Amino acid sequence: MTESIRFILNGELREVSGLPPSMTLLQYLRERAHLTGTKEGCAEGDCGACTVAIGRLNNGKVDYQSINACIAFLPTLDGREVVTVEHLKSKTGQLNPVQDAMVKCHGSQCGFCTPGFVMALSTLMHNCKDAKDDDIQDAIAGNLCRCTGYRPILDAARLANKSKDRELPSDVNALEKIQRKKMFAYEAGGAKFFAPVTGEELVEVYAQYPNATMLAGGTDVGLWVTKFHMDLPVIIYTGNVEGLRSIRETAEGLEIGAAVSYTDAFEALAAYDGSMLDMFKRFASVHIRNAGTVGGNIANGSPIGDGPPPLIALNAKLVLRSKAGARTLNLEDFFLAYKKQDRKQGEIVEKIIVPKKPAGVQFRVYKISKRFDQDISAVCGAFAADIQNGKVVEARIAFGGMAGTPKRATHAENALKGQPWNEATLQKAVAALDKDYAPMTDMRASAKYRADVARNLLKRFFIETTEPDVETQVYRYAE
Amino acid sequence: MADDTSIIGKARPRIDGPAKVTGAARYPSDEPAPGAVWAFLVTSAIARGKVKSFDLDEAKAVPGVLDILTHWNVGGDAKPPAPTSKGKPTTTLESDRIWHDGQIIAVVVAETYEAAREAANRVHVDYDEEKPSATFGSPGAQEEKREPGDHEDPKIGDPEKAFGAAPVKIDQRYETPTQHHNPMELFTTTCFWQGDKLTIYEPSQFVYGLKNNVAKQLGIDPAKVTVVSRFTGGAFGSKGGTTARTAWIAVAARRLKRPVKLVATRDQGFTIATYRAETRHRLRLGADANGRLTALIHEGWELTSRPSQYNVSGTESTARIYACPNVETAVNLVHADRNTPGFMRAPPDTPYMFPLESAMDELAYALKMDPVELRRLNDAPKDPINGLPWSSRSLMKCYDAAAERFGWKQRNPVPGAMRDGDWKIGWGCATAAYPSNIAPCGATVRLDGDKASIGLAGQDLGTGAYTVIAMTAAQALKLPVENVSVELGHTDLPAASLAAGSSHTASICHAVAAACDKVNAKRAQGETGVIEETAANVPNGLPDSAMDKINHGQMAISRGFGRKDCTAYAFGAHFIEVRVHGRTGEIRTPRMVSAFASGTIINPLTAYSQYMGGMIWGISAALFEKTEIDLRAARYTNDNLADYLIPVNADAPEIDVLLVPEEDNAVNPMGIKGIGEIGIVGVNAAVANAVFHATGRRIRRLPIRIEDMV
Ligand SMILES: Cc1cc2nc3c(=O)[nH]c(=O)nc-3n(C[C@H](O)[C@H](O)[C@H](O)COP(=O)(O)OP(=O)(O)OC[C@H]3O[C@@H](n4cnc5c(N)ncnc54)[C@H](O)[C@@H]3O)c2cc1C
Ligand code: FES
Ligand code: FES
Repeated sequence: MTESIRFILNGELREVSGLPPSMTLLQYLRERAHLTGTKEGCAEGDCGACTVAIGRLNNGKVDYQSINACIAFLPTLDGREVVTVEHLKSKTGQLNPVQDAMVKCHGSQCGFCTPGFVMALSTLMHNCKDAKDDDIQDAIAGNLCRCTGYRPILDAARLANKSKDRELPSDVNALEKIQRKKMFAYEAGGAKFFAPVTGEELVEVYAQYPNATMLAGGTDVGLWVTKFHMDLPVIIYTGNVEGLRSIRETAEGLEIGAAVSYTDAFEALAAYDGSMLDMFKRFASVHIRNAGTVGGNIANGSPIGDGPPPLIALNAKLVLRSKAGARTLNLEDFFLAYKKQDRKQGEIVEKIIVPKKPAGVQFRVYKISKRFDQDISAVCGAFAADIQNGKVVEARIAFGGMAGTPKRATHAENALKGQPWNEATLQKAVAALDKDYAPMTDMRASAKYRADVARNLLKRFFIETTEPDVETQVYRYAE
Repeated sequence: MADDTSIIGKARPRIDGPAKVTGAARYPSDEPAPGAVWAFLVTSAIARGKVKSFDLDEAKAVPGVLDILTHWNVGGDAKPPAPTSKGKPTTTLESDRIWHDGQIIAVVVAETYEAAREAANRVHVDYDEEKPSATFGSPGAQEEKREPGDHEDPKIGDPEKAFGAAPVKIDQRYETPTQHHNPMELFTTTCFWQGDKLTIYEPSQFVYGLKNNVAKQLGIDPAKVTVVSRFTGGAFGSKGGTTARTAWIAVAARRLKRPVKLVATRDQGFTIATYRAETRHRLRLGADANGRLTALIHEGWELTSRPSQYNVSGTESTARIYACPNVETAVNLVHADRNTPGFMRAPPDTPYMFPLESAMDELAYALKMDPVELRRLNDAPKDPINGLPWSSRSLMKCYDAAAERFGWKQRNPVPGAMRDGDWKIGWGCATAAYPSNIAPCGATVRLDGDKASIGLAGQDLGTGAYTVIAMTAAQALKLPVENVSVELGHTDLPAASLAAGSSHTASICHAVAAACDKVNAKRAQGETGVIEETAANVPNGLPDSAMDKINHGQMAISRGFGRKDCTAYAFGAHFIEVRVHGRTGEIRTPRMVSAFASGTIINPLTAYSQYMGGMIWGISAALFEKTEIDLRAARYTNDNLADYLIPVNADAPEIDVLLVPEEDNAVNPMGIKGIGEIGIVGVNAAVANAVFHATGRRIRRLPIRIEDMV
């Protein structure tokens, strides 16, 4: 039997049935709820015109995050709250601080991007009582504006940041009433959607529908529908499975559930090195990172995913689970070939275990892309080296964008192992990279450029670990 | 002109701001259309050939599908839209013919968007495929000399001889890429019929044009067609012409007797509308030993579709920027199996000023001269082609103001001499220029006590039209701006021309002022109560019948060049800093200073943001924006916003815009020159010049890539 999708939209309970499970929140808002303030600019998560705030109950309060409504399937909102640009004005009709500042600072020209910017910034203001400039820049990195050149929008954000009244309106009680203890099952027009809440339910329903599409943040799967027009007859959503949504510190290291979003994994992963944080800040946009998961980034098997190279360099393990039980493998062994992973029928990605970084291990990750923010990597390189008394005891190097899968540079690693960490060793390791990779030419970069960049990144790792005072960082935003 | 009581000339936030920040501003696809069903386009997967047959069974079987339009069942129901240039348009459902990849070949209509999309995906097409030509140099691409007619080919003196004799010469070839406007709003159309009356909601730069064109296509009386586009989510030229989709949505709505709504996808937008065509150039400059230009020969090549002769011919501008006694220009067309290009922000000047302003920099290096001084030396006291005076010209004032703010004096001219750690620093400059155009326009003003409402069928594309109209009327009627309301974008209102060519502010403000004058005259006669007046402004030099043309959706415009009394251009100067990373080749643009003189500035705030937006477009055009083409398939490959890189916040540098005051009594009565496009012109060259200064590498093919740097 199908249940209806229940969520709070701008303060009102909505119960929805009869709409296809792959209908996006954006389509619903614009065409069914007639809330046309939320715009469509791409339907692919690239432009942010569709940004809305999603509230999720967390220990008696509501956590808000901005997401792209254009790639969020409607049933994933079950049990959540949705706030759109129409709901920001106060009861007396006053603009909220972001809206007010956008008018004053001339933050819109054509205005088509404006609701998205307003939602991105209003969510930031809600979450961050005193947003730093970096936070502001980060909050809007996933919003494109073709008219203004962004400066007036930044000015508006800075002005809004001075105001006190900056909370999004929320209703904890209403949300509490629509939480579920058991799996949510929805069906319309022959298509099925399941949102299990326990790990048992998850492997059980997957065993029942082994050809189902696993859905986590939907930042890949959403595009299969909106861009590639695929039919998804059965969807299993992992986003409500408690066990998959937690991060734990254990004796072994850090355990990250497969459905943990990049935003939530941020802090824990950044502890490995500041460069991790820098890279994640350039991973897609806030809205995508709020939805997109660490598990999805691995399970999709993409050769240019930003997650796997640093995790492989850090010697992460992957835990897969099916009804039959769990198995653990080295992350790099999961990637068999282009678009082929070691995942058996009925198996889900359960968690990633990242070992503690031993003292003495130097670690860096670098992302190189054409455009600074919100751009897929041309090359992503990660380096971990155990350097004792000027000697490399052990090294792990992994690259994305250099082969059909995220791949380790075993020749370069061997050239380093046991050698003094000096220029001569570096040269040998750099030369060995040519044996590790035969990269491709595509729109993002030529093969030669990729090979050059890989060599340069290894050099950069050398400089940063031997001459820490040398400036190697591409500065982030214009001063 | 602006005194203390003046409204014109004082910065003011846009009056449509609150509507935009609350989501209340209604863009065409936001207009309610009760009972609407959905259309999804099927576009061709090949670039040249014919549709042999369709297999529609699977598509028709999708629950909710209502109709599928192809050339089989609707081929005769509409004619192709009139082209904006000589030659013929490409066609869509009129026949089985395929002119380019991504051409509309069928329209699926269903009860829901999801069903229409799914069914469109299940339309199977059998093609008769021929080998397509993608672009310049592709086998089968046809080159021809552009026919005279729409454009002049300026020529004076004996350029070949002068070039031959010149002691200092530059003779280089340059390339600019295909680019797509990619406004944030998609191409949408909603149509419905009430009896024999058709209403169209579609983002447009010219609602009267759309109304009349669609009427002609469908063979109906234009009086029966209403077009509404209150807000347009960015256009930049892409929503100026009538595209094929509109008539088919109207046909679908007529067949089903229900409103039909189309929101074309981002990738479809690359092929169902227009784009900036790739261009090639050969530019020759000759100068004497002191740096005075003696010869300028500019030949351009532009890509277009097979049947169309669309071209932009920017040589009309490059011929007259500098004082040079011997000038010759020519433009050639290259036809390939592509969709027809169209206007995109500063259509002629963006591609054509790149070679000129790059070559000027090359000449400065050849002469060991400062590039600013080279421009000063060759500043033109009058239009060099026809000897007419400029309406006003403040080019060097712009250079001086911007150079000072930028700190140009500190520049070490030696390429590669300026560094900051691993970063090589380069400073470059270039000239911006854009002709001052103005078109006929009508307006209605209704005064009711101390409240006024203004109506005209112009557009606010984000340019601030709502606001400048309210300001113009408030000033003329002596009312506070808050008391003036403005309605735009509806064909029930008096006609305005195409919002393009930086002409719109001048056109609409003069019409509003004229209507206000009539109202004031009535007031002076002692009339009280509601006063409503409609007026039209026809710019000097155009016949009165020009307003009629606008009413019929045709073009009529007084251009900055080709006038009898003077030549009118806005000018500006760009200065930019680039940093090129020594190891990775990454290019950054941390800061930019530009100065512009554009006559009367009605609202410095909206002006400022127009300039700034243009400048960022320029940087982006120089460093990122290129539509990639699969040469074998003649297909765009980066037709989405992930791969077509428009700048994000992090790419935008610290920008300084200086407004150089300029009073121009000759250009038009209010002295308005237009600001929407000049900001982009020349920026591409300024960036390339800065890159040369940083690295010693002269890049003559845009966009400049990391690969060019390592
Ligand atoms: C605009 C945009 C920008 C992006 N930028 C980047 C970027 O900079 N770097 C980058 O690496 N990626 C980027 N991506 C890709 C994407 O965001 C990431 O790969 C993300 O981590 C995917 O996670 P998800 O939870 O959204 O996955 P989903 O889309 O939900 O799923 C992805 C795949 O994983 C499978 N899957 C998900 N969970 C499980 C599970 N528990 N067990 C088994 N299979 C599972 C799904 O079936 C699917 O095949 C971008 C995407 C967009 C739309
Ligand atoms: S519509 Fe562009 S990100 Fe959603
Ligand atoms: S104001 Fe037009 S896209 Fe931002």
